[in-house]
Amino acid sequence: MKHVALAFVATFFIGPALAQGDLKAELAKLKPRDFPTQPIEFTVVYPAGGGMDVTGRLLAKYVEKWTGERVIVNNRTGGAGMIGHSYLATQAKPDGHTVGVLANLVWGDAMLRAQGRWSLNDLEPIGYINSDALTWVGRAEGPYKGYSVKQIIQAAKDKPGTVRVATVPGSMWEYIVEQIEASSGAKFLRVPFQGGGAGIGALVGGNVDVAQGFYSEFRGHLDGGKVAPLAVASAARMDFLKDMPTFNEALGSSDYLWQVIRFAVVPKGTPADRKAYLGAAIHTAMKDPELLAEYRKFGVFFDPKLANSANLAQDLGAYVEAERQFYVKTGRLK
Amino acid sequence: MDPLAGLLSGFAVILTPQNLYLCLIGSVIGTLVGVLPGVGPLAALALLLPVTFTLPPVGGMVMLCSIFYGAMYGGSTTSVLLNIPGEAASVVTCIDGHQMARQGRAGAALGIAAIGSFIAGTIGVVIMTFFAPLIAAVAIRFGPPENFGLMVLGLVCTLFMISGSAVKGVLMVALGFLVAAVGIDVVNGRERFTFGSVNLSGGIELLSVVIGLFGLTEVFSNVEQRLKTTVVAERVTGLWPSLADWRASWRPMLRGSGLGFLLGLVPGGGPVTASFMSYALEKRIARDPQRFGKGAIEGVAGPESANNAAVAGSLIPVLSLGIPGNPVTALLLGALIIQGIQPGPLFMTQRPDLFWGIVAGMYVGNVFLLLLNLPLVGVWAQLLRIPYRVLFPVVLLLCVVGAYSANKNVFDLWVMLAFGIGGYALRKLEYDLAPFVIAFVLAPLLEQSLRQSLVMSPDGAMILLQRPVTALLLAASAVLAALMLRRKSSPKGGGGS
Repeated sequence: MKHVALAFVATFFIGPALAQGDLKAELAKLKPRDFPTQPIEFTVVYPAGGGMDVTGRLLAKYVEKWTGERVIVNNRTGGAGMIGHSYLATQAKPDGHTVGVLANLVWGDAMLRAQGRWSLNDLEPIGYINSDALTWVGRAEGPYKGYSVKQIIQAAKDKPGTVRVATVPGSMWEYIVEQIEASSGAKFLRVPFQGGGAGIGALVGGNVDVAQGFYSEFRGHLDGGKVAPLAVASAARMDFLKDMPTFNEALGSSDYLWQVIRFAVVPKGTPADRKAYLGAAIHTAMKDPELLAEYRKFGVFFDPKLANSANLAQDLGAYVEAERQFYVKTGRLK
Repeated sequence: MDPLAGLLSGFAVILTPQNLYLCLIGSVIGTLVGVLPGVGPLAALALLLPVTFTLPPVGGMVMLCSIFYGAMYGGSTTSVLLNIPGEAASVVTCIDGHQMARQGRAGAALGIAAIGSFIAGTIGVVIMTFFAPLIAAVAIRFGPPENFGLMVLGLVCTLFMISGSAVKGVLMVALGFLVAAVGIDVVNGRERFTFGSVNLSGGIELLSVVIGLFGLTEVFSNVEQRLKTTVVAERVTGLWPSLADWRASWRPMLRGSGLGFLLGLVPGGGPVTASFMSYALEKRIARDPQRFGKGAIEGVAGPESANNAAVAGSLIPVLSLGIPGNPVTALLLGALIIQGIQPGPLFMTQRPDLFWGIVAGMYVGNVFLLLLNLPLVGVWAQLLRIPYRVLFPVVLLLCVVGAYSANKNVFDLWVMLAFGIGGYALRKLEYDLAPFVIAFVLAPLLEQSLRQSLVMSPDGAMILLQRPVTALLLAASAVLAALMLRRKSSPKGGGGS
């Protein structure tokens, strides 16, 4: 009996410390003998300070914590991510020292813009990070004050081309508008911006009626009472905005799934042992409650299917396939 | 919170040894980054971003901000001494600043640049202290049509910059537009003029263009003159601006401060546009515009003030709204977000310690920078004694490092080389390179705002007349253009106001 009690005390109080030690030991076991010989480089294809960069830097911090390896973040920017994507797929050495911290926007680049120079097969996913769902927000004042997403779409149907929506050309910001128009017969006035944040600014300034973006981009204005959330393009409602419906709920569909999925890749040909080590390192970091708490602050969520995936490439592949079908259906891809 | 009480609380936050130290470090790094050609504030901030993760938010932000405006102080140094801009916002300073150096007045030019930077930086932060929320509320109303009006006004102003042949100047503006068109179309997302190249799909990097056109071109031009051994053979005299310099400079400084601050608020605007516009404005209203390009001190005082005021202006949308207008402020936003802080309309009330700490830090930083830069004037002037064979390899190295650091893309180095060679050829043919750069900077903003306006307008181009601010800006542009045409067509020496 005494032993049980002791064991209980041990698990309860010493447990976490032990578990941490265990996890570190597990990782150390996977560490290849000749790797790494230099700092591991996390390549982020968007500029320093942006959402992807913040994601990558936080991950780097916790991978460092768990492995003890040095991890540096390198921003290879330009061409809306295309330059970094191409670098990872065609130029980066597949020796494990280069890890790409990417978003699913790489799929569109591979399918529509790479023109056969590289494909998704050149990048092997090694770890899921988090997801962020595209959200529609309206103005807290003005002609569409208090409208639900359905009412806004109806307004765009009744008076085609009068409801102004901020979009980012050639991306999911535009695809979702297209999808809604195709199924509802509404016609929005699409005002192009270079990024979600700029569109939110235009919404607050009254230059558009609907903006699209991620929670971290509009949270400040939501707290300030300037914008009103309309709907989110995810499978389930957001924990932090329980009152906001999903598009699928509001429109009675299951097709509206537009989200940024963030994950890590290595260039194809990276040795299996190094790949396993890096994958385990990211997986361990992603189990750290501190990192999860830091990520949650930005309003991201963790897709359970991807977070607990036994075969990440295959599970991500399902999303890739859905995106491919959209491109084929809309004539973007033959 | 009452601004004065807020500011005092900010000083209480900032006046700790650690925060003062961070502010000083930021000022020193900023000055260095400014002085070194090629390496700009964006690269420096990106490099130092991880350092701030372990710092308290106030200290980290104060350091990053002081690097940003510190670079504006340092940028003029290389422009004046070597005719190579230390960073993009100091391109125009080369025109008259370097001429002053050739006349042995490098000290006066550097002194005026430092003092102008200080005055403008301080004016900017004073305006920020008292009016940040109000200005943010007005700035956010500025939509695509208003931005278009501003850009047109800017473009008309640049035409005043053209010296020498008007045809050649207009050609350079056109070329700037053409080169800026490379990349992804802002409205339909398709690639233009990329010829299937991945590297061109993002457009041509401004930093590579500026370093190529001004850094490499200057080195090339000097290498061919083998007789001279140092940049300026004469002794540097008069390290301090004279009374006459002061009299000529104080108005340009004030005008530059106002103009720069306004342009800093505009999305896509910032120090680079501000410095060009200020130069154009000074040249336009000068009684004897012919002096410009031959060492007019106004051509240093105005732009060097404008780029500092633009820094203060560009911080307002980020801190009051969470909306960055240029890459550097986007990076500052990211630095805050990593700390778990979300700037937005409530930032000032929710985190007064942070907001006022940053503002107070800017007062302190500007004082540090003045104290740092004035005594350095004499030291920098000694640079002119360094022989070519030592100086220029170093400059070339810095150019390469700077161009690569922006995107870590080797292609940018080829762009730099191409613009270096092209710039050299154009200079030999007596083409002015400054109008090219300002056209290159303005073109994407002009195009995007015009096309956004047209898309969002139910009545086509009428939107530009229906929005009062836009109509006003366009009317002002038309009047300016008419005045310029009249002056050009009137006989030499006569007319021309």
